[in-house]
Amino acid sequence: MRYIYLLVAVAALMVLPMLTTGYVVYLANLLLTFTVLCLGLHLVIGECGQFSLAHAAFYGIGIYVSGLLSTHVGWPFPLSMLAAGLVAAAVGVLIGLAALRMRDIYLALATFAFGEAMQWVFLNWRSVTGGPNGLRIAPANLFGWEIITDKQAYPVVLISAVVMIALTVLIARARIGRSFRAVRESEIAAQAMGIDVKQTKLAAFGLSAFFAGVAGSMFALYSTYIHPDSLGFSTTILVLTMVVVGGLGSIGGAVGGAIVFGLISELLRQAPQYQEIFYGLILVLFMMYAPKGLFAFLGDLWGRLRHG
Amino acid sequence: MAEPLLKVENLTMAFGGLVAVREFSFAVQPGTIHALIGPNGAGKSTTFNAISRLYQPAAGRILYAGEDITRLPSNAIAGRGIARSFQNLELFNELTVLENILIGAHVHCGGSLKDRLAAFPDSEMARIAEIMERTDLKAYRDTKARNLDFGHQKLLELARALAIRPRLLLLDEPAAGLRNREISALDELLTDLCRRDGLTILLVEHVMQLVMSISHTVTVLNFGTKIAEGVPAAVRADPAVIEAYLGKETALHG
Repeated sequence: MRYIYLLVAVAALMVLPMLTTGYVVYLANLLLTFTVLCLGLHLVIGECGQFSLAHAAFYGIGIYVSGLLSTHVGWPFPLSMLAAGLVAAAVGVLIGLAALRMRDIYLALATFAFGEAMQWVFLNWRSVTGGPNGLRIAPANLFGWEIITDKQAYPVVLISAVVMIALTVLIARARIGRSFRAVRESEIAAQAMGIDVKQTKLAAFGLSAFFAGVAGSMFALYSTYIHPDSLGFSTTILVLTMVVVGGLGSIGGAVGGAIVFGLISELLRQAPQYQEIFYGLILVLFMMYAPKGLFAFLGDLWGRLRHG
Repeated sequence: MAEPLLKVENLTMAFGGLVAVREFSFAVQPGTIHALIGPNGAGKSTTFNAISRLYQPAAGRILYAGEDITRLPSNAIAGRGIARSFQNLELFNELTVLENILIGAHVHCGGSLKDRLAAFPDSEMARIAEIMERTDLKAYRDTKARNLDFGHQKLLELARALAIRPRLLLLDEPAAGLRNREISALDELLTDLCRRDGLTILLVEHVMQLVMSISHTVTVLNFGTKIAEGVPAAVRADPAVIEAYLGKETALHG
């Protein structure tokens, strides 16, 4: 029965571009991209309990790999998307190797430093990324079809997001998802249950980066221009805020957070100077007063209102 | 006598300058309940953690079913059939009882792709249901571990260890903090696990009522060395043991 509702929802989303303007479709594309970014961060932080503040870097790697493959090599989009995910995952595993020796605040700092370093690379590797001038990318092709507008990209973006949500659910339910949560809850006990803690953490970092890479290629699909400005810490914080505000540790929370907060961030584009203050404030308030996230908070509130 | 399932040879454990366990040897016979007792700080838990591979011994060997496991990583022993519980509870607190036990079955869910992807692997569920039944956790299947009362948290430690399908079960103070009624239930359960399921159990325990009732063999440690070993009645009467527990005065006049 739940699957029928899901199918109806996806079908309704499918016909969206016929009913609305280009801006709404652009916004839908963006929210779906954020959704996949959030799912990736959810896997490493929410499921496995490992802090990662380099998500924007993996996202950037995905954008550039996908954009460059479309522009210079002309690969069909699904292939360049897979390549974007895999390259990001490979870098993610490397970061994971470094992360094995650290935890908590040290891990946060190390991944933060990596994220900043990657943005520096995006800004200064001019021959590849175009540096601060940005990079114009050619339209992606989908087996002969050229994807130019937001409306053309939308069905592909939507299907990608649905596939990634399904993949997240699959991972979370499976043996590997249980290992992630075991490591999050107690590394000592996880080991005693026969779980290889190192391998599990590497898998979490790799998968998380894979999702970010795929999100990057989704972005590259409906964009004509890449600029490294949006691939720094502010984007990482935005995604982190989405995941925390949605509800740490729940897939629905990550998706909901991406959509609610994606809309808020789009509204705030009018006042970019206040954006980060606003995100920071929301993040702190939620950690203090609603640590389980917006949806759990609303659920509690609803329960209290109904039962007095 | 049969070949011991677990054999500890000349185990020495040191932390900095402090020698916690010195040249300690003992053997656990298959199908028996073996208790390791001694006053606080005698080195029981240290020995325990060396066997479950959390601590690296300074010297000595640990043999399990004939295999030298002294240098194995701690995640390699579950697959060999050694399970342990933790004295200070190391449950997966935010997860449900069922999920805690499912993670215990981790090493048995890695076979086919279907088993790896399943939220509830068919091959394990019947056994897990039986474990929950026997450990009185059936009614708490979907309760988060942190919301259980202390007695049931202790039982969940045991249930999770049983999901490993161990041959050797290492229990670190399973009765500590339990009420009398809970201790008698534990007594029955452990005896049953040994008799009916053929499990070998090594336990560290302070609750003498339990130790004396269920153990086949008792080994006594004091200041890191073995001072006595034998059947419960003999150990209880051993002057060295009485002295270690109660002090010289009482031993003489008691």
